[in-house]
Amino acid sequence: MSKRLASILVLLAGLSIFANPAIAIDLNKLLDLGDKLVKMSSEVSTEEEVKIGSNLVSGLLGAAPLVKDEKLQRYVNDVGYWIASRSSRPDLPWSFGVIDSDGVNAFAAPGGYVVITLGLYNLLENEAQLAAVLAHEISHVVEKHHLQALNKVLKREFWSGLAVAAVKDDEDREALGMVVNSGVQLYATGLDRDFEYDADLRGVVLSARAGYDPFALLDVLTTIDSISPDAAELTVLLNTHPPTGERLDRLANAMDGRLDYYAGGQSNADRFHQVSAIP
Amino acid sequence: MHRLLLILVFSLFFIAPLQASESGIIVRTAQVYADANIGSQRLDQLPAGTAVSVFSRKGGWKEVFSEEKAIVGWVRAYQVRERTLTQQQTQVETKADQRGFLSGLASLSRKASRFFSTGGSSTSSGTATIGVRGLSEAQIKSAQPNFEEFETMQQFISNDSRLASFRQAGQLSANEVAHLVPQEKTVTQSTKKTPRKK
Repeated sequence: MSKRLASILVLLAGLSIFANPAIAIDLNKLLDLGDKLVKMSSEVSTEEEVKIGSNLVSGLLGAAPLVKDEKLQRYVNDVGYWIASRSSRPDLPWSFGVIDSDGVNAFAAPGGYVVITLGLYNLLENEAQLAAVLAHEISHVVEKHHLQALNKVLKREFWSGLAVAAVKDDEDREALGMVVNSGVQLYATGLDRDFEYDADLRGVVLSARAGYDPFALLDVLTTIDSISPDAAELTVLLNTHPPTGERLDRLANAMDGRLDYYAGGQSNADRFHQVSAIP
Repeated sequence: MHRLLLILVFSLFFIAPLQASESGIIVRTAQVYADANIGSQRLDQLPAGTAVSVFSRKGGWKEVFSEEKAIVGWVRAYQVRERTLTQQQTQVETKADQRGFLSGLASLSRKASRFFSTGGSSTSSGTATIGVRGLSEAQIKSAQPNFEEFETMQQFISNDSRLASFRQAGQLSANEVAHLVPQEKTVTQSTKKTPRKK
């Protein structure tokens, strides 16, 4: 117990919680939290994965809230739900959202959470392109890329604190906020670049499985590739992903001749524009 | 005179639809092939920036026409960026966006003026971007969880009964497709096998 307490104190000191006298946290509550942290030293269960993801996506929503457009949010959930149902993990509580940011990007969190920025959404031309973006993110979730990355970057005892289920009161909330914040850093640094290439490949297959034109991802990447890399909207995306040209080359080579049969899949541009148009 | 009339009629019936076809721009130097496969005859190369008309699409290929090079042929789809902005765009554009800026096609045009060089006709002055609203690197790094917004997000989750009508309306079929094996690895392996020079 004392070892556990010491490690949590070190962790929290590292997070300079104690440097802020305004955040006075009851040590017993910390110990409770610590118990939950240390308990999870083995394989992350699906339940824990979902909790970790919900906390991480709450962090992203703290940086940019949802776009206030129910029709849009439901539409993106319908597309995402369908794509996810064609993956090997259809039973996760898949949840999607468009967030109010000019930045061109999309994010996934463990357990089935995907958000796309309005900046990226507005660059899309049809439903197949939306499906392509969601399928890429869904692939990150299915392959547990973020869990692997968290495991690499942070001490396991620490990041699994993200799976803390109950946030009973303000003190716990403060501590959890710190942990979430450290996890969210991942979205600024990005995943291993190989995970991105992998998600591109898996994404186009998912699109084809869902009846969409799988080449739509190439269209999205081509659009992104046409934007000046100096655009502030692209900074995070370009810093956290391999060069777009390289992604295009690899993807086009891997797809060449293999998915042609599915190129006649749906694009559903009309439906996309109906939803995207201003009411 | 008759000849002139003929040309006029010709241009009305043939050239007009040609111009109306989707236009695009070559974004990466593209090899032009006679058919939509790399085994077919290589016709020419189109450098990045070449304006083309896109006639059709087959798999990962697009059939393009370059007036500049007077050539019709097939290039890899990702080497062309299409501009599919039509009347639909202007329609949407006239309405102000309640979400703060324009969505869908309309935003493409507005954003296009910022992101894409459209070549000359731009009337608006430069739109320098000072930071990004929401989700800049600094904003991500300092993000604190918003659990209320998370609860809101949960309200929009889809379900099987919604899915049924969604699929039907969108004519979305379920296909069995095997995972792709990345081509990269084979290339790397074969490179490794090449004997080292001494």
